[in-house]
Amino acid sequence: MRPRDKTIFYREHRMEKNNLIQIMTEKAVAVGTIVHEISSVSNALQYAVDLNKEKHLKTMACPGLDSEDRDRLLDLCKSSGMDLLEEPLRNNASSLDTSLTWIDFGIADTGTLMLASDSEEIRIATMLAKIHIAMLPVSKIRLNTGSIEADLNDILKKDSASYTAFITGPSRTADIERVLAIGVHGPVELHLLLIKDMQP
Amino acid sequence: MIKTAQDMKSYKKKIRQALGDSFLRSALDEFNTAYRKNRPSVYKDIDFNILRDAIAENKDSLIPFLEILFEEFKLNAQKAGAIVHRAKDARQANEIIARIAKENKVKKIIKSKSMTAEETFLNDYLEKQGFMVTETDLGEWIIQLKHEGPSHMVMPAIHLSRYQVGELFEKQTDSKVDSENIDKLVKVARHELRPRFLEADMGITGANFAIADSGTLGMVTNEGNMRLTTTLPRVHVALVGFDKLVSDLGSALNILKLLPRNATGQAITSYVTWIKGANQSLNNPSGKKEMHVVFLDNGRLSLSRDPVFYTSLRCIRCGACANVCPIYSKVGGHRYGHVYIGAIGLILTLFFHGKDNDRAIVRNCINCQACKEVCPVAIDLPHLIKKTYARVIKEEGKTPVKNFFLAKVMKNRKLFHFILKSAYLAQQPLSKGKPMIRHLPYFLEKDHGFRSLPAIAKTPLRDLWQTISPKLETPSLRIALFAGCAMDFIYPSHGKDLLKLLKKANIQVDFPLDQTCCGLPAMMAAEEKTAKAIAVQNIQAFEAEQYDYILTLCASCASHLTHNYEKIFMEAQEPGMDFKLFTDKIIDFSSFMDKVYKFSQTDQNINKKVTYHAPCHLCRGLHVTEEPRALIQKAGYIYTPSRDEDVCCGFGGSYSVDFPEISSEILKKKLDNIEASGADILVTDCPGCVMQLKGGLDKRQSPVKVLHLVELLAKKK
Repeated sequence: MRPRDKTIFYREHRMEKNNLIQIMTEKAVAVGTIVHEISSVSNALQYAVDLNKEKHLKTMACPGLDSEDRDRLLDLCKSSGMDLLEEPLRNNASSLDTSLTWIDFGIADTGTLMLASDSEEIRIATMLAKIHIAMLPVSKIRLNTGSIEADLNDILKKDSASYTAFITGPSRTADIERVLAIGVHGPVELHLLLIKDMQP
Repeated sequence: MIKTAQDMKSYKKKIRQALGDSFLRSALDEFNTAYRKNRPSVYKDIDFNILRDAIAENKDSLIPFLEILFEEFKLNAQKAGAIVHRAKDARQANEIIARIAKENKVKKIIKSKSMTAEETFLNDYLEKQGFMVTETDLGEWIIQLKHEGPSHMVMPAIHLSRYQVGELFEKQTDSKVDSENIDKLVKVARHELRPRFLEADMGITGANFAIADSGTLGMVTNEGNMRLTTTLPRVHVALVGFDKLVSDLGSALNILKLLPRNATGQAITSYVTWIKGANQSLNNPSGKKEMHVVFLDNGRLSLSRDPVFYTSLRCIRCGACANVCPIYSKVGGHRYGHVYIGAIGLILTLFFHGKDNDRAIVRNCINCQACKEVCPVAIDLPHLIKKTYARVIKEEGKTPVKNFFLAKVMKNRKLFHFILKSAYLAQQPLSKGKPMIRHLPYFLEKDHGFRSLPAIAKTPLRDLWQTISPKLETPSLRIALFAGCAMDFIYPSHGKDLLKLLKKANIQVDFPLDQTCCGLPAMMAAEEKTAKAIAVQNIQAFEAEQYDYILTLCASCASHLTHNYEKIFMEAQEPGMDFKLFTDKIIDFSSFMDKVYKFSQTDQNINKKVTYHAPCHLCRGLHVTEEPRALIQKAGYIYTPSRDEDVCCGFGGSYSVDFPEISSEILKKKLDNIEASGADILVTDCPGCVMQLKGGLDKRQSPVKVLHLVELLAKKK
């Protein structure tokens, strides 16, 4: 490839990426997700602790975070007087307030988060918490379900068991008089933190 | 426990009760209007028609191979640790599930919403076996507390008000509940049900997709209870109909584009979950979940081989056929289905729950085509409902009186027309020579007195024809008129107006005298043989090759003469009948005046507001929507839209006689909207609708005048 072409490719790629962030944000906000662009994982951890503090919540869980990030969160929790719950979370199911997890892909078109939830810890954290804070590297945003079809199929075609979730906004119902109500069984709030400086 | 009326008398009683339920009436009427209003914005990003046809085609390609797909699913799911069962009927499915529960020493069961489990009455069975079963979908929990079946496939408790829900919750929690605040009611459910999830030994779900090439289940939900149901208990059983099998993920993702949009107006639901095999479960000693998938046949495999009814297996349970149905919006789901609700329910009930439960409800379709238009898998629901009715009659083994009469009279044109002419004399004591019959004999007035009835004309159009027909030397076009019974015997003046218009354009019109009723009333009564015999008579009467067009001023006739004639002859598979030559030449009045006659803009402005009623068989049957509205404006009038212009007027031919209590309620809403528009004149282009609307407005003594479009256009120029 000649240098000139490379520049063009780069520009288009940049444009596409910004566009995807914009679509992802718009669509996610439209279904009630609270979206923020955040510059680093450290800031995301701080965001989670601040949010918990602001809401006067006591406990957090962070399944799937690497040990370094987990330790940083633990320190932040301790200094704010909160508990970072131990796994298995099943034992603390009734006291879980807020969960912080990674997300595998964002689907911009519908503001959807795709999360491989094979681990029971991930499932419990994202289902039972009052607030779910999801971290997504911007490089993992795809346009629509068609653009994650191959990735999802790779998971499903394996001979092993799997549990993959598309999450779009907080839990909702309109079962009484067709009036929309949030947080019937799952999280009452869904926060999406788009993390800018992550590499794919 | 669901108790569906098994005869017309008790069905009518239930209908009258429902019509008196003011909450139900206003809630469903609002829903019907809101759903249709919201629809264009839901589909602004994707093309509904293209996707619908693609999904229908994909489903059709799979339906003959459901057993093969099942084997493929089983193989793939088993590799990931799931145990796959197949149940030939509801009883066997329930037995399998109870056995799994017993083998795993289950006591408490939680369920997420599953229409398939409703179909098998699984809860009743499990409770009788001593298990404690809790529904966790909010709507399902509510109806479980009320000991009722769902009244809608997506919103099971849509028939209940917040106060009724509050009462149930107060009884359940033994404490005061703030019924006014729906958010608080929802939180009661969250609070009450959360411990049930944590205590349960087994979770039962349905599934929206069973993907064969990976053995994965796909579930489309909003509340999050399904995720908890499949995660917290140590055993998971999914009960899945064979019709949920798709070949691959791509097929499922395509359906996922339409299902939430059509069901709830969402681009996607809050949760879509893909579950394969036995996942991690830390409260099982093995560390893995006990995972079972039970596939339910219950008549599906035999349906898949039926040349007519196989299309009903395309259904993805979005519930939209109920959302847009004018009858559902009046009577509610418990009077519009057995377990499955809405148009598809009137069909599936026969196959899943037998003729006794379908006998009465299957007759309650007005054939307005609203369901067909929104079906995301292109099921010809109104047609299948009539086919189902025909099958119910066949299974019953005795012909209803109406059908006996239709067959005897309608096949014989001369006898039929003799009876219509005799009716002119018979009605004299009621009409007293006036064009409207305002009061019926006492015993009929109560049910049928909601509209004035038009009187039969003294001389039908066919007898006037010799004296009024044009004989043009060098006509620019030759057309034949298909009058239809209403124009011929009730509104011959519409024929005169037509001639007035066409003469100016030098168009020769013939009236083939051997023409008879189009046959739609026979088809609506599931009198298939008669409908076909009539079709043959009409095709022979017209000698279509002589004409440029066959024009009809009745939208219902036009739609029947084209689409239904094609269906009749295609299904009969009889070669030799060249129906295409006939059906291709049929044209409705609005299309003819706009496209062939090229009715031009008048330079005179008439200071009168005209609103329009879109006949079902014109706007949905023939997809003619812009022409009549444009013609009103071209004639110099001020077109003033009214709300829900394209909703049925409640006529439906003999429907308004069979179900006058519903017909009058549909008409009432229509007339309210018309009067609210502030129009001076209401125009429509179907004599059936003219009859209903004119009759209703006359009874109200409304100043709004009702005209067939031909009358409006003939007035000017």
